[in-house]
Amino acid sequence: MHKPEFVYVTYIETTPEKLWQALTDGHFTERYWFGYRFDSSLKIGTPTALGKDGKVTDEGVVIECDPPKRLVYTWHPLYDPELAKETPSRVSYDLVQHGDHVKLTVTHAGFPEASKVLPSIATGWPLVLSSLKSFLESGRPLPLSVMQS
Amino acid sequence: MSKPEYVYVIYIQTTPEKVWRALQDPEMTKDYWGRRTNRSDWQQGSPWRHESYDDSSDIAVAGTVVESKPPRRLVITWARPDDVSKPEKTSRVAFDIEDAFGAVKLTVTHSELDAEMLRAISGGWPAILSSLKTMLETGAAMPMTQRSWKG
Repeated sequence: MHKPEFVYVTYIETTPEKLWQALTDGHFTERYWFGYRFDSSLKIGTPTALGKDGKVTDEGVVIECDPPKRLVYTWHPLYDPELAKETPSRVSYDLVQHGDHVKLTVTHAGFPEASKVLPSIATGWPLVLSSLKSFLESGRPLPLSVMQS
Repeated sequence: MSKPEYVYVIYIQTTPEKVWRALQDPEMTKDYWGRRTNRSDWQQGSPWRHESYDDSSDIAVAGTVVESKPPRRLVITWARPDDVSKPEKTSRVAFDIEDAFGAVKLTVTHSELDAEMLRAISGGWPAILSSLKTMLETGAAMPMTQRSWKG
């Protein structure tokens, strides 16, 4: 049986170390993630928090951490009561270096049937990851207005 | 059971006209699409060929232009050259180009796929479209797509 999941692959001209920092350091995420900070000690079993202006919108727990190759954490949206009712899903970042670029695979899985979180994240990841790629390659992330409308 | 569909969305800081041109200009495709070009007059109903930039007899994919609305929507059929007359081996690719918050949202929808073609294109589109974005935003495509590759 095919389980619903979202997979996005992007190739970025950078190093695994820089990409890792951009994905896990809140000072960097807020530059391309439309003002959102990702906060985590990256220790297995400790919490993660994604938020903006001091308000946490998505929380989780670190499941796996192997810098700069793989990070897995759970994903539980808080910003919408309907979405907050769903059991947490799971985000994996896999980074593989190929010469002068890195292949990044984001796999978001573990959704219940008829998930409302899945269509939401399927819209969000291409925006965030397109902005991340621009940020690392040109220094110019996508405009902030993207997430404000 | 419906046939599988593959969708890839990418946001590029450029204009719709530049994305449209990049899909068709051989000097651009050769850099982000593995030294290949897309040859056609791009009129609805016309044939198109995905051929080597260096050897026009080396054709990897061929089909027909189904819809052409510059610079917003291009739809083509997609088959191995030997399978062009076989409907069951012919898939369809739609390029939708929209304005999105000061950037361009490019959606590639590859539909009516069989399992073999799904495997082949699932590896290809992310690399090609990543490099297209890099080319349009930085002026140079990624080296990985500037050389030819098999598949």
